[in-house]
Amino acid sequence: MKFDVVIIGGGLAGMTAATELQSSGLRCAVVAEGLSLHNASRSGFKAAGGTLLQGDRVISGRIENGRLTGVFTEKLGDTVLEADNFILASGKYFSRGLVADMDKVYEPLFGLDVQYEPDRSKWFDRSFAADQPFLDFGVKTEGLLALKDGVPVANLYPVGEVLAGISSASGDATVQIRNSALAAVKAIRRN
Amino acid sequence: MPINNEFDVIIVGGGITGAGTARDCAMRGLKVLLIERHDIATGATGRNHGLLHSGARYALKDSESAEECIRENKILRSIASNCIEDTGGLFITLPEDADSGFGLDYQTKFIDACIKAGIDAQAISPEEAREKEPSVNPSLIGAVVVPDGSVDPFRLCAANVTDAAMHGAKILVYTEFLDFIREGDTILGVKVLDTRTGLKAEYRAPVTVNAAGIWGHGVAAKAGIHIGMYPAKGALLVFGHRVNNVVINRCRKSADGDILVPGDSVTVIGTTSTKVPFEECDNMEVTPEEVSLLLREGCALCPSLASTRILRAYAGVRPLVADDSDPSGRSISRGIVCLDHETRDGVKGFVSITGGKLMTYRLMAELATDAVCRKLGENKLCETAETPLPGSVDGRIETVSKRFEGKVSLGQKSAAGRQGDLVGKLRFDSEADRQLVCECENVTLAEIKYAVAELGVTSLMDLRRRTRVGMGTCQGTLCIRKAAKALAAALGDPSLEGKLAADYLDERWKGMRAVGWGDTLREMEFMQRVYKYEKPYSYDEI
Repeated sequence: MKFDVVIIGGGLAGMTAATELQSSGLRCAVVAEGLSLHNASRSGFKAAGGTLLQGDRVISGRIENGRLTGVFTEKLGDTVLEADNFILASGKYFSRGLVADMDKVYEPLFGLDVQYEPDRSKWFDRSFAADQPFLDFGVKTEGLLALKDGVPVANLYPVGEVLAGISSASGDATVQIRNSALAAVKAIRRN
Repeated sequence: MPINNEFDVIIVGGGITGAGTARDCAMRGLKVLLIERHDIATGATGRNHGLLHSGARYALKDSESAEECIRENKILRSIASNCIEDTGGLFITLPEDADSGFGLDYQTKFIDACIKAGIDAQAISPEEAREKEPSVNPSLIGAVVVPDGSVDPFRLCAANVTDAAMHGAKILVYTEFLDFIREGDTILGVKVLDTRTGLKAEYRAPVTVNAAGIWGHGVAAKAGIHIGMYPAKGALLVFGHRVNNVVINRCRKSADGDILVPGDSVTVIGTTSTKVPFEECDNMEVTPEEVSLLLREGCALCPSLASTRILRAYAGVRPLVADDSDPSGRSISRGIVCLDHETRDGVKGFVSITGGKLMTYRLMAELATDAVCRKLGENKLCETAETPLPGSVDGRIETVSKRFEGKVSLGQKSAAGRQGDLVGKLRFDSEADRQLVCECENVTLAEIKYAVAELGVTSLMDLRRRTRVGMGTCQGTLCIRKAAKALAAALGDPSLEGKLAADYLDERWKGMRAVGWGDTLREMEFMQRVYKYEKPYSYDEI
């Protein structure tokens, strides 16, 4: 299956990007796990002709010559989802966009570069009410593109809370999340 | 400053030893004052496995402790039935144990030693063990069944305090020992500080008992007395659900992380043993090394722990005592130490009770009370081994549930399990009283009101120790605002809500930080989101 853009994640960031891109005439597919606060926006996206893979999730991808050429999902099996551009809107820890081990934080789908503090004792502030450093961890970017082993992946745009420095768990981050999604939309339209 | 002379005995320390001693002294007709600087059960009493030892663990190396354990095990089953769950226990032998000299020959010696100490220990086949406890490491090569169980130390301590009060004892929590009142070589009483009001007071009694656990070192020092204490930190991890139904131990020489205990809705692995400085005893953090070790050893007992969410980590300090006869302080006893400071140090009116363990608290209390009675010239006999604790007089849920009208709700049933036959005091007068505040542990508003009115609760941590509020799977994430509101209302000051919740969240955060990765970190992110994210997403904005 070939699309113009595949969006991984159906939360605020993913649906903002998907809705904008679909309405500007690009063929989009969103892979969105189970229940969400965003069912209303998901219906809107479908009504605009978007493809919604609800209740499915991306499990791996194929990176060739510095480009992400396709992703595999749990339910589609061997069928690859191909696209010119990909948006990674997989969120932070709770939605498993990032995974924390005892001694590292990693991005589980593509092994992207993650900005985090290696010393786990520094992940937390002792006071619950204070800002928590672990909420600032996230994937690294260069000019909106994800980095893998220090090199940009030419067509993979991380947006929303999977990014370093954005978290809605530490306060209202709606504006930051939307802006990161719209920036990726703009870059994709330009290409 | 008010001076109070109305007491026969003052007990310093509201852990299980102090609580048990207060009960015993009060039952023998003495006028008792117990002072505790925090809440009851805040030290080692509330920071252990909650294991009702059969004594098997000590059978080979310390037969005296083993015999004490099994005797007290049987006594607690009869006097504290409401605090105990008869899970049974297994001592398993793994293939790697055989390689290191703890194979089935060792198991045979172990069983012989148990039987000699009066512990009913029976070998079963690996197949039978897997059937009895499906979560056990399937590669085991041998297993022994022993009468282990689990005990709720908070409930046990609270029951002792309640009974002491019912026998006329005065219980002062949040009352810190500052110094002794002393005349020559005689202790006349104590100077204390009410940590909530900042007011000082003096209380006098012919005998003072030091039952302050590891902090007893400092209490004795105020009398110029040295007790060679050895603060041994033990770390433990709590898992997100009840993985095993039977206590699982390793059948080998005692080591770190070799006991897995199911308790209520969770499972606890422990423990470690590290000497720590006295300064650290007030605020202990579990280290990453301790966490790794406990996980590794826990997975050897029960492999599914590797994929089970860890709720939190905590640590307590064992008040071990160096043998008086060994000036180097290296010979450490885990046995009970009851010191009459008149004969030992020439200081009159002062007794220390320390060493020992949760399992033997009643015996420790009996020995301390005997010493107090000797000093006072009393000769009443101890009755604590035969007299059930409040809540356990008839704690069977079927009997207790009859106290409620109509169909018994989940919250009422759980309250009956926790409060035993005292549950009749809960008032379900309105629909709100029946509502669950904590849905993990089924705690109703009625139970919270009861805890405030009857059990001296003033913070959410106090409430947690009496009712298990916030102790379950969600660790208070979803209920603590509700609980704080209910508690503040019951305390008569709704403005306390925010402070109560914040104190509680900091305490939980401490336990989670030590195990903050994987699913626990996901829970931590969720917890932050619940309490810090004020504005929900608006669909219109998309």
